[in-house]
Amino acid sequence: MSLNNENEYKGRLIAAVKKEVKQVMEESVTRKFVHEESGSVTSLCAAVEACLSQGLRRRALGLFKTSSTTALLHKIAKHSREAAIISKKVQEIENSDPNRRSSSSSESLTKPTLKKNHSLPSTPLPKYLWIRLALFEKQLAKIIDYLVSNANKYYDKDALVADPDYGSILSSLLVGPCALDYSRTKTPDHFWTDPPADELVQRHRISSSHSTPPPVRRPILNFRRSLNASSEDSITNRTTTQHLAKDYVESLHQNSRATLLFGKNNVLVLPVNADVSQPMPGYLSLHQTASGLTIKWTPNQLMNGFTDEVQDKSVFWDYALQVRLDEIVYVHCHQDSETGGTVILVGQDGVQRPPIHFPKGGHMLAFLSCIETGLLPRGRLDPPLWSQRCSNKRRRPLPALSETEETTKDYVFRIADNTTHKDILKQNELMDTHIALPPKSRVQLPSTSTSSESSTKSFSIDQNAPDSPPSICIQAVCDSMKRQIISRAFYGWLAYCRHLSTVRTHLSGLVNSKIVNGEGASDGITVEKWNELCTDGVVTDHAELYRLTYFGGIAHDLRKDLWPYLLGHYKFGSTTQQRMELSEETKQAYENTMSEWLAVEAIVRQRDKETQANAIAKLSSESMSGEQVPAQIQRDLSNEVFEDNISDEDSGPNVEEEDKPERTRQNTIKYDSDPEQDEKEERYQQQQLKDFIHNVIVTNASVDMGNLGSEIEANGHRNDLDVVAEENSSLDTCIETHGLASPAMSTCVSPASSNGGVYSQELLETFGLNLHRIEKDVQRCDRNYWYFTVENLDKLRNVMCTYVWEHLDIGYMQGMCDLVAPLLVIFNDESLTYACFCHLMERMVENFPNGNAMDCHFANMRSLIQILDSEMYELMHSHGDYTHFYFCYRWFLLDFKRELVYPDVYATWEVIWAAQHVASSHFVLFLALALLETYRDIILSNCMDFTDIIKFFNEMAERHNAAAVLSLARDLVLQLQLLIENK
Amino acid sequence: MGSRVNMRPTSKNTLLKVVILGDGGVGKSCLMNRFVSNQFDEHSFHTIGVEFLNKDIEIDGETYTLQIWDTAGQERFKTLRTPFYRGSDICMLTYAIDDKHSFRNLQMWKNEFLYYADVKENVQFPFIVIGNKSDVEANEREVSQVEMETWCNENAISACIETSAKNASNVQEAFATAVQHWLRLENRADKNECLYTDTVDLTKKQSENRTSCCINASDE
Repeated sequence: MSLNNENEYKGRLIAAVKKEVKQVMEESVTRKFVHEESGSVTSLCAAVEACLSQGLRRRALGLFKTSSTTALLHKIAKHSREAAIISKKVQEIENSDPNRRSSSSSESLTKPTLKKNHSLPSTPLPKYLWIRLALFEKQLAKIIDYLVSNANKYYDKDALVADPDYGSILSSLLVGPCALDYSRTKTPDHFWTDPPADELVQRHRISSSHSTPPPVRRPILNFRRSLNASSEDSITNRTTTQHLAKDYVESLHQNSRATLLFGKNNVLVLPVNADVSQPMPGYLSLHQTASGLTIKWTPNQLMNGFTDEVQDKSVFWDYALQVRLDEIVYVHCHQDSETGGTVILVGQDGVQRPPIHFPKGGHMLAFLSCIETGLLPRGRLDPPLWSQRCSNKRRRPLPALSETEETTKDYVFRIADNTTHKDILKQNELMDTHIALPPKSRVQLPSTSTSSESSTKSFSIDQNAPDSPPSICIQAVCDSMKRQIISRAFYGWLAYCRHLSTVRTHLSGLVNSKIVNGEGASDGITVEKWNELCTDGVVTDHAELYRLTYFGGIAHDLRKDLWPYLLGHYKFGSTTQQRMELSEETKQAYENTMSEWLAVEAIVRQRDKETQANAIAKLSSESMSGEQVPAQIQRDLSNEVFEDNISDEDSGPNVEEEDKPERTRQNTIKYDSDPEQDEKEERYQQQQLKDFIHNVIVTNASVDMGNLGSEIEANGHRNDLDVVAEENSSLDTCIETHGLASPAMSTCVSPASSNGGVYSQELLETFGLNLHRIEKDVQRCDRNYWYFTVENLDKLRNVMCTYVWEHLDIGYMQGMCDLVAPLLVIFNDESLTYACFCHLMERMVENFPNGNAMDCHFANMRSLIQILDSEMYELMHSHGDYTHFYFCYRWFLLDFKRELVYPDVYATWEVIWAAQHVASSHFVLFLALALLETYRDIILSNCMDFTDIIKFFNEMAERHNAAAVLSLARDLVLQLQLLIENK
Repeated sequence: MGSRVNMRPTSKNTLLKVVILGDGGVGKSCLMNRFVSNQFDEHSFHTIGVEFLNKDIEIDGETYTLQIWDTAGQERFKTLRTPFYRGSDICMLTYAIDDKHSFRNLQMWKNEFLYYADVKENVQFPFIVIGNKSDVEANEREVSQVEMETWCNENAISACIETSAKNASNVQEAFATAVQHWLRLENRADKNECLYTDTVDLTKKQSENRTSCCINASDE
């Protein structure tokens, strides 16, 4: 290597370290801690290792055998205190693992990190162990410092470490990472059991080796198919996947090849080949395949998901048990009052299988009875578990096995073979072929079924359990089989009919009965199409418009013109002229309404200001207790109300008001007054006075003139009013808001234009409260989207306030802003947005907490899943409470607005709106279902429970492939339509 | 074996369910996000429905997994959030120090929680009161620390803290305090079950002073 090359190489090595240091530091900044097993730590260690190995005087130091740098560490331990600490730790760790004496960093690079017969149920030692440890212990920089300063001893002259520049750079680079805190709280275990949504999708992508965009894979939704057998789709998947682990875990579920007869969690087994002393909990299951019964036990560690990389979990695979029952001759049962009992299986060779310890609660008995039923008709337990001698119909288990205290604690069963009679065998085969025919619904199949649903086990014990020796009359057996076959066929048919009737009664309302063909509509409404549809400004063919929108969406530039049609604001058949008039009207009405609430807002704001001033004054008075408190504030403290305008301050304390602190306990209404509005203010004053005088209904509201320009006259009025108010303070009645009823013609949005309305206290409170909420939420609405500048957020707020003012009974609810936002972006016109939003809300308002649509949605989702994806339904059922479907809440409330990015929201919304005229007025349900189906394999393979699903979908927000979801949703609608039509 | 154990935790962590409650806009989601991912989004959304995140936290050498549930703050969404109260281990009552109203509503939140969480009567529940937005200017503050402490004392809540999700101050501490508080009550409950004594437990771990206020004061 030439000198140049050498230098370049060193430069590269240092650059690599630099890069990894930067990575680690960044990670620490964003996460506040770096995980010990983070990939960036490993890469950093690798980079450091590379630097340290370069130019190491192996031969001179006698370091040829093992990992040079680890040996180097041990070597310098004599001289460096830091190295000694780390060296000791490394040795401790290595010694605690007899399998790997000399774990060396560079060796473990090339060797597979996992050995099959690992003696410890732990992971192999991590790579670059000593560098890692030194880093965690914050000693690495010092150790390297030592190496650099003593480089001549250990390194060649031209080594990186010996280089005057690079050496010191290396050690100083590592000072930063050595100052960090490394955490081990999140281990890969957690990563696997609690992975982020990203990771799940990624894993799924890896594990499903077929088709490139897996999330879009068609789910098994075909009804007929799911009737016959379980997911054929997933079986074909399984065969294609190369992942043993996944296969294995999946094999524990019920599938078409094997019926699950029994399953129980937390069954304890002490694996033979394990190094553990305590029995481990695991999942015990009993499967029936065509060839016989299999007992499987899988350690709990493997039950949460699967690994497609070599992970530390893999050692548990060795522990898993799989016992074919036809290899077993004896079943020993040991009863114990302390535990739920133990079962030991003894094979033909006399070898015992590991004892299976059941938890309490009759599980052993259940397990045995499942075995007994599963064995039939070819085998049986001898003596029979269920005592047949009792003449009454109720079967009773052998006394010894009921969990009551008994003298006999142990019991031995022999597994006897019934199949000496070839005829029976033949009969069985015959039956098998028959059995495939009648449809059965997996949906209603309990997984631990002992009923007559699976293909080989089928005899109910009452009639058939061959209590007598195998010499029973063949004819009887054949007869009973015939009966069985017929009854099974019947039950299958019955179940099918019931199922269909459920579909029809519950779900027929969800889709339109008429199936609209989507041919040629996949491009949606393009500009050319629109020109065809809209002749002379009149749109007549609404059916075609809906159809095109439903199947293909609307070109973005046309949305502004088309959405008002879809939402029902523009009428089909209207002329351009009519629509212009409508727009003008809409605008007028909008501005009128706005001027109304703006007036109220002004009042509310004024009150707020005072309240806030009071609160702050109170705070500051607390902090400066003892100091001189201004009279103004003093008074505020005494009566906590928005009494005086702070702006009064410059005019000095108002004596008159100070006189009556008590009075001001009453609620006070105040008008904001600008000097220019003096006259109008005065008019209010007068008018209000009249009101007071004319109506005996006097409110506890008093009017305060913040403006001294209104002079003593006003004050005098107020005085009178106050007296009246005092006297009538028991009356809670409010003044009618007469100002609101009269039409305000002015488009001026000044508060003064609102006809001098006097607003009831209640109204002010209500609207004020809404205003605050709107304010808070508008400020937080889609700020990351380019459209929402401060100016446009104001528009959003105006639309929102106008809606709430007009619908005070509904009020503002969180989520409404989200619904306004996309409309506003498209229209960029307040009044049009408002009008369309009102139309939109006609449907959406029911979703909000005071409506009941959400519950209906959830119930419908449930039925749909039950019909269309039974496997998913079973999973949801097994996690009881997640049938509440809370994870769909936001979807329905906002029409998926938060699940998708803006362009996708537009596309989705217009399809939802068009759908009711084309395919289904509950299209959102199918969208939800499509979303769920898109990730069904991930959900199923990770056995997600309720909380997992919530977390998953929250994390997946705005990352869905909307086009695929939409088209899947349309497919689902069609499927249900076909299902219902196909009687 | 010591260092071996250091490389990975041996046992499964205790899972604690934490519910964050408080008015809309006080910063519940921001607190959660700051704590879990150390991020703060100036433009974060208001929460619709519920969201939750998991995060491990180490207290006294033990690791706890916190399952933090963030709820919608608006009163109207009560039916949606209340089912999630059940089975909570810790409840964080949150207000914004620049919003008096949100402070006043703490009582409402506390009552709602107690009602729906199905907390056994006479059992002290680990509430922690959090005054968020401690980063606001002094003149925008509407609730003083004294007021918070007074309210806590009146309501027999012994943990409170002012935080800022924006500048990350006290956020970790708030969650740590909450867990410590839970631990204390848990220990006390255990003890009460055996024998009711009024002796002072000298071995009890005193929490650090950084949590600002009442913890030590009301511990006696």
